[in-house]
Amino acid sequence: MKLTDMQSDAFGELGNIGAAHAATTLSQMLMTRIDMDVPEISIIDISECYRCIGEELAALVVFGIKGEVKGDGFIVLYMPQTSAIRLTNTMLGMTEIDREMNEMDQSAIIEIGNIMVSAFLDATAELLGIVMLPSPPSLCMDMAHAGIESIIAEVALKTNDVVIFKTNLTSDQYSIDGALMMFPDPDLIAGILDLLEALTAQTQV
Amino acid sequence: MVEFRPLGINARFIGIGDYYVGRDPMTTIGLGSCVALILHNERLVVGAMAHIMLPESKGQVDRPGKFADTAVNVLLEEIERYGSRNGGLCAVLVGGANMFGFNDNNLNIGDRNVEAVCCRLKEERISIRTADVGGRIGRSVVYDPQNHGTITIRRADGSCVDM
Repeated sequence: MKLTDMQSDAFGELGNIGAAHAATTLSQMLMTRIDMDVPEISIIDISECYRCIGEELAALVVFGIKGEVKGDGFIVLYMPQTSAIRLTNTMLGMTEIDREMNEMDQSAIIEIGNIMVSAFLDATAELLGIVMLPSPPSLCMDMAHAGIESIIAEVALKTNDVVIFKTNLTSDQYSIDGALMMFPDPDLIAGILDLLEALTAQTQV
Repeated sequence: MVEFRPLGINARFIGIGDYYVGRDPMTTIGLGSCVALILHNERLVVGAMAHIMLPESKGQVDRPGKFADTAVNVLLEEIERYGSRNGGLCAVLVGGANMFGFNDNNLNIGDRNVEAVCCRLKEERISIRTADVGGRIGRSVVYDPQNHGTITIRRADGSCVDM
């Protein structure tokens, strides 16, 4: 799969708007500043995924993209376990870092994911002029690569490369690192590109 | 406690949909719903590993290691070049987890992957020596054909087991 420069710029801008809204909700929840990187778009061969997403322990909150779009796609809130614990500690008013994730942590991180991803999809859908909604969330607390595999199996049925949009989010105050990642399948990419092209054609007139 | 052995420079990393047949140590990291199929021939000191992502190829042939049916075929074909016959092989399966605890059968690709691999192995009359599959946990695996086919599995919490 290949994206032209124009297409990846348009996609990057879309991701930027989505991630900015998501970061704002996180910032409000934690009442702290959240820094956001420029969204990266990578097209990776499935056999090379282990080079980007490794064995580290991480929390993955996964949502399917539903609504007025063709194809399938997933949005993932990715957070290394230590960051996830710092995040839920901050939210729940706890301090102990060296512990396992319990049920409270899990509900908290699912809820945070829910709020962030809803904001992400609302903002991108509004720009595209369609309705996009997240499916109910699923949580995986394990090796990051192991969780991501299930998503790749869904989007790379007929292709051997996956398109990943990734925006890193960090909070210096609480030393929290995380990322929002989007995994669209080829149909969803085509659908969004059509909408983006229609949009840029409109603004040029 | 079993330690994860450091990998030699010859170790082959098998990514999703990849496979390797030969005598070097091989490894796959972060297996979730995917299945690592290992075929070992003790007498000829040769082995094979595939990182299988989906149960059926439905006619796709460009990435044989990606699907259960084509992966079994390609591993057998290539290991035969070392003089190995099906009767001299034993199989080990690792992975096939249901990472998100989906109840929906369609989404539980892990189970379907394991089932498809077992089914193909049965057709080829290859016995399964052991399997560490299912559950909701990720696994990494190292296999060394030269060291009596030792297989070490590491879980997310860092614990390791030899199979």
